[in-house]
Amino acid sequence: MATRSLPFLVLAMIGLLIANLMFGAVSIPFKQILDGLQIGNEHYFTVHEYRLPRTILAMLVGAMMALAGALVQGVIRNPLASPDVLGVSHGAGLAAVFYMTFFPNADISWLPAVALVGSLVAALMLWWLCGSHSSTIKLAITGVALAALYASCIDFLMLVKPLEINNALLWLTGSLWGRGWNQLAMLLPWLLLIPFALWLAKPLNLIHLGDDSAISLGIKANKLRLTSLAIAVGLTASCVAICGPIGFLGLVAPHLTRKLVGGRHQILLPATMLVGAILLLLADLVARTIDPPIELPAGIMTAIIGAPYFLWLLLRTK
Amino acid sequence: MISLRFSFFAQCLLLLLLLFACSWISLFSWSVITVTPADALHALYNMNQDSIAQHIVHDLRLPRVLVGIMVGANLAAAGVIMQGLTQNPLASPSVLGINAGAALGMASVSTIAPWFGLLGSSIAAIIGGGIAWAFVMLLGSAWRGGNEHGRLVLAGVAISALCAALTKAVIIIAEDQAAGVLTWLAGSLTDARWQTFDSLWPVCLIGLLGAMLIAPTLNLLQLGDDNARNLGVSLMWVKLGGSFLVLLLVGSAISSVGAIGFVGLLVPHMARMLAGQDHRKFLPIAMILGACLVVLSDTVSRGIIYPAETPAGAILALIGAPFFIYLVRKRTL
Repeated sequence: MATRSLPFLVLAMIGLLIANLMFGAVSIPFKQILDGLQIGNEHYFTVHEYRLPRTILAMLVGAMMALAGALVQGVIRNPLASPDVLGVSHGAGLAAVFYMTFFPNADISWLPAVALVGSLVAALMLWWLCGSHSSTIKLAITGVALAALYASCIDFLMLVKPLEINNALLWLTGSLWGRGWNQLAMLLPWLLLIPFALWLAKPLNLIHLGDDSAISLGIKANKLRLTSLAIAVGLTASCVAICGPIGFLGLVAPHLTRKLVGGRHQILLPATMLVGAILLLLADLVARTIDPPIELPAGIMTAIIGAPYFLWLLLRTK
Repeated sequence: MISLRFSFFAQCLLLLLLLFACSWISLFSWSVITVTPADALHALYNMNQDSIAQHIVHDLRLPRVLVGIMVGANLAAAGVIMQGLTQNPLASPSVLGINAGAALGMASVSTIAPWFGLLGSSIAAIIGGGIAWAFVMLLGSAWRGGNEHGRLVLAGVAISALCAALTKAVIIIAEDQAAGVLTWLAGSLTDARWQTFDSLWPVCLIGLLGAMLIAPTLNLLQLGDDNARNLGVSLMWVKLGGSFLVLLLVGSAISSVGAIGFVGLLVPHMARMLAGQDHRKFLPIAMILGACLVVLSDTVSRGIIYPAETPAGAILALIGAPFFIYLVRKRTL
């Protein structure tokens, strides 16, 4: 029953992959995409250097951010939680902007690591402010307040150091614009986190029964919680370091998926990755084609979809 | 026993003195052309200015300080009214989405239909803020009262995120107007001139007077909705009237200097610490404090990377956001 929608998700993703390669400022007919992969073809530059890496990146980032959201929601058992709502994305963003403004000549490949440190600090900060036994709303509201703090620090840094800021601005809007093979290569090592995340599926199911039952079934609840959160932080930080904070994706994707395939994490986690990839591919496609040659950052599209969804969840939360 | 608490009038007097000192410092500090403190005073009453310094004070600094005072008073009063209406210590124009909504209204009109001019964009700011505020009140179940503080704030934050995304989209699509809108969004008093002052003061006067008139009713609301109703308060009219005042105060402030945040959150708490819970007392104190805070952060904003200017809105956000966290942590939600 639950797995029945998986083939459709896969089909939708493949369809979007092709659409992302075809459409943009110039449309390329389907037949010519494969030809475009060969050097010397008239579309080689557009397809191979521009659209292909960007499409793959959108797919991977979407999948990773959605997976991070599912892990966080899985262990905190809080429908309003996700790395971006809890301020983890903004922490990564602040660290990265700090790095870019104060060390403008530094090696850009350190960026994911710097972002990782920033989001770890953000996560610890939240943990320190809230403790582990906070109500749903309090956790969300503290996260939101922290995110506001990081956002105002980012604004401040950008206003104080206007010269170093071009890079940061390009990156901060949460966009896939101008990302290519280099960025993709930076993301690749972090893909190793995905199997670890999937491996957690079974204990995540058990922890849903409540901490006590999980412990009596042999799950180390706290250890599981820390592992999952650490993996989620790593996934988010690497994505944010490359594409900027893409809002609400980690929140929306797991919810949609749970509606489609139910709550078993063995299916939920992979399906969430599919849904996340679909959402970001769609957002990026719309962002590029809505008013060419102007591009809207994909982060704007996800916020326009995600914020109303967040409100709807809020209305249902008791 | 000798009470260390000053009387209300003494507090007002001291704060007014503080405001005067802040304004005076703001008139002469951090100027590329040397302005002496005495010049600043001279230019106030000397109409035919004889030096460049006095010209600067009279034509640039003075309107800027006056606009800062009015904006600060407006935002602080709006914060007090919002916290009174919602019975929520976290309520303020920036947290509950009014700033973002007004920014969206302003940005859409000034990019899509620039021929509406200054008045049109002020009205758009008020309408945009109003729509956002209405949504937040409805979705945050504010009409139900009770202990739903967090929900209201989260609804405000989500609406803010939505409005901010739409604003960015509008700016990107209508590129040619983008630079102006972006500077304006950061919230800065740099462009405040006598023209801004002229369009701001009538609205400001009406709004602040209205706020003073509504203060006694806000006291009654503190007793809870049911008690207030028993004492003869018409809740619907108070909430509608209060919301209208908030929009007037915030809309006029935002359309003249941009989205300056967190004054409305910060100042009412400071004022309450000074003057207690009586709205008739802490509302005027909040207004003066708000004026001080904005004038002060505008002065600091000029000095921080002198000679370039940092928008005052950024400085206020840097002070305001940690305070917001402190409030969230202090309250049991």
